[in-house]
Amino acid sequence: MDAARTKVLIIEDERQIRRFVRSALEDEGYEVIEADTAAAALKLTAGEHPALLILDLGLPDRDGIGVIPDVRAWSDVPILVLSARAQEEEKVKALDAGADDYLTKPFGVGELLARTHALLRRRHAAQGNRDPLVAFGTVRVDLARRAVERDGAPVHLTPIEYRLLTALIANANRVLTHRRLLADVWGAGYAESTHYLRIYVARLREKLEPDPARPQHIVTETGVGYRFKL
Amino acid sequence: MQSHGPHTPTQLRRRYIYAALVCAATAALALPLRDRLDAANIVVIFLLAVVIVALRYGRGPAVLAAFLSVGLFDFFFVPPHYSLAVSDAQYLVTFAVMLIVGLITGQLTAGLRQAAVEAMARENNTRALYEVARELAGALTFQQVLETSQRFALNTLESRIALLLPDAEGSIHAPAGADWVDGVTAALAYQSPAYFENDAGASVLYLPLAAPSRVRGVLAIIRIDGRIGPLSDLRQLLDAYASLIGIAVERLHYAEVAQRSQMQVASERLRSSLLSALSHDVRTPITALVGLADALVHGKSPLTGAQCEIAESIREQGMRINEMVSKLLDMARLSAGHVKLRREWQPLKEVVGASLQLLGATLRDRQINVDLPQDMPLIEFDAVLIERVLCNLLENAHKYSPAEFPIDITAAVRGALIEVAVCDRGPGLPQDTARLFEIFERGERESATPGVGLGLAICRSVIEAHGGMITACNRPGGGACFSFTLPLGTPPSIEPEETMSGA
Repeated sequence: MDAARTKVLIIEDERQIRRFVRSALEDEGYEVIEADTAAAALKLTAGEHPALLILDLGLPDRDGIGVIPDVRAWSDVPILVLSARAQEEEKVKALDAGADDYLTKPFGVGELLARTHALLRRRHAAQGNRDPLVAFGTVRVDLARRAVERDGAPVHLTPIEYRLLTALIANANRVLTHRRLLADVWGAGYAESTHYLRIYVARLREKLEPDPARPQHIVTETGVGYRFKL
Repeated sequence: MQSHGPHTPTQLRRRYIYAALVCAATAALALPLRDRLDAANIVVIFLLAVVIVALRYGRGPAVLAAFLSVGLFDFFFVPPHYSLAVSDAQYLVTFAVMLIVGLITGQLTAGLRQAAVEAMARENNTRALYEVARELAGALTFQQVLETSQRFALNTLESRIALLLPDAEGSIHAPAGADWVDGVTAALAYQSPAYFENDAGASVLYLPLAAPSRVRGVLAIIRIDGRIGPLSDLRQLLDAYASLIGIAVERLHYAEVAQRSQMQVASERLRSSLLSALSHDVRTPITALVGLADALVHGKSPLTGAQCEIAESIREQGMRINEMVSKLLDMARLSAGHVKLRREWQPLKEVVGASLQLLGATLRDRQINVDLPQDMPLIEFDAVLIERVLCNLLENAHKYSPAEFPIDITAAVRGALIEVAVCDRGPGLPQDTARLFEIFERGERESATPGVGLGLAICRSVIEAHGGMITACNRPGGGACFSFTLPLGTPPSIEPEETMSGA
C-alpha cells in the first residue's frame, strides 16, 4: 500500500486526542488532516477526498452519528468511529448508519493502527478484482467453486452456513451488526431473530475454528455483532 | 329529602282529624242544596271529598273519609233526615256502591299520590347524586372530595359523614375530631366488601368506598337527628354515593401515582444524562493520557529503556483509572434499580469466548480450562452484562491466584437453571462469603492487590436482574469458586433448513 499519499481525516473536538492520533498516523507515513466540527468534516471530506475518516461521536455542533449518512450519501470512504461511550447501542447505530468499524475510548496506538491498516487494506482490495481464493488459519475457501477445505479435507456446509461464511468474508476486518448479517443471510424479515444468527455462527465455528470456545476468526463483538478476521 | 316514610303518631292522628273535618265541611256545604240537588249528585260531592282526602292525607284517612261520607250522607241527606234509619231500601244499594267507590278511588288516589311523592323524591335524589358526581369528577384534592361529599350528605341526607382512608400499612383509623366514628367497625367495613351496619341501637352506617380496582376506604354516615331508619331505607342511593366517592378517591390516587412516576422519569433522565456526560468527560482526558503515553513508546524519536518504562506505566495507570471509572458508572447504572436488560437467546459458549478474548492481554500467560456441556440449550440473557460478570470473575481469579495454576470455567444444567462457575487454585475465601458481594467490600483489607471492591457488587446486581443468584465457596483441594445461576426458560424454535445439500 502506498501510505505516503494516503490521506486520513480525523474528526475530533479534543485537541490532545487529535494530537496523538496525528502523531501515530504520521509516524506510519499517512498524511493527516483535522476537523473539530461536523461541518468542517463534511467540507474536508468533499474537498480533500481522504481515504479514511476517523470520526468521534461526541462533536460540539451535532451528533457524530448524523455525519455518517451525510457522507454515505455520496462517498463510500471507510469510517472508523471513536466512541467515548461504552454503550453498545451507540456503536450499533453508527454501524447501521454506515460506519465500518469502531474503537472504544480509551484506545492505544497499536489498536488504532491495526484498525486503520485493516480498513485501508479492505478499500484497496475492493478496488481490484477480488481473489476467489480466501484462506484463514488452515481453512481455504474457493468462492468460485463454492468449496471449503480445512486441513486439506473438504468441509460440508449447509447453504445457510455457506451464505453466512461468504457474507463474513465479503466484509472481512470490519464489524457487521447482527441486524445486517441477519438481513444479508436470512432476509429483512429475520432482522430481530438473533438466535438464528448465533446458532449458525456457533455451527460455523465448530466446523472452521481450531478452538470453537475461543474463536480466532469469527470473533464476537458483544452486544454489537461479529468481526471476521482474516 | 321529601318525608314520605313513617310519620310520628301525632302527625298521623292529625291527618285523620283533618279527614273527618273535610267530610264534615262537605256535609255542611251540601246541606243548603239538599232540596235542589238530586241525591245522586250529593253522593258525587262526597266522593270528591274522599278523593281530596286521599290526595292530601293518604290511604288511612281516605278509608275513614269513605265511611264517614256514607254515614253523613245517610244522616243528613237520606229521608228520614237527621236519622240513620232508611225509609227506601234502595238507598242501601246507594250506600254500598258509594262506600265501595269511595274506598277504591280513595286507595287509588292515595297510591298515585304516594307514587308521585316517591318519584319526586327519587328524582331529587338522582339530581343531587348527579350533581355530586359532577363535582367529584372535577375534584383535584382530597379536601375537595371531602367537602363535596359533606355538602351532599347535609343537603340531601340530612347527615354528617366522615371519610376514612387506609394509611400506608393499609389499616383504617377513626379520624381525629369525629368521636361518633367507631374505628373497629369501620375497619371491618373496609375488609368486608359488603355494606356494614353497626350493632343494633347504633346510629352510624359504614359503607366501603368501592372503586373499580379495590376498596379505597370507608364512609361513615350519621343522620343529624340520630335516626338510622331513613338511611337504611336509602341503600341504593348510599351505595351509589359511596362508590362515587370511591371512584374520586381512586382517581386522585392514580393521578398522584402518575405524577410521581413522571417525576421519577424526569429524575432518571437527569441521572442518566449526568452519567453519560460524566462518562464522556472523564474518558476524554483518559483517552488522551493513554494515547499520548502510547505515542511516546511507539513514536519515532527513540526513548531510553527507563523512559519507555515510565511511559508504559503512565499508560497502565491511565487504563486503571478508566477501569475504575467504568466500574463506578456501571454500578451507578445498575444500582438505580431499573437496568434495562437487552435479553437475547444465545449460547453461553459465545459470551465465554468473548470474555476470554476481551481479557486476552491480561490472561495471556494463564491456562484457562473451559468445560461447557456440548448439548447446552440457548439461554436468554443480556450478553454485554453477562460478559462483564464473566470478566470480573476471571480478573478476580487471575488477581488472587498464582499465575502457574489454571482457571477453570465450567457450566452445568441444574433443573430449571444453568449454573456457571469460575474457579481458581488461589488461597481461597474468608468465612463470610456473602459479604464479598457487598459494595466496596474486599476479601482482604488494605491489600496490595489493586481494586475498589465494586466488581462483585456489579456481578450480583447483574445476576439478580436476570433472576439468578451468585455465590462463592471454597473449593475442595484449595481455591475459590464463584458460581452464578441463570434461569433456563424455553428457547425459541428454529426452522430447519429445507435442503441439506452441500454448498
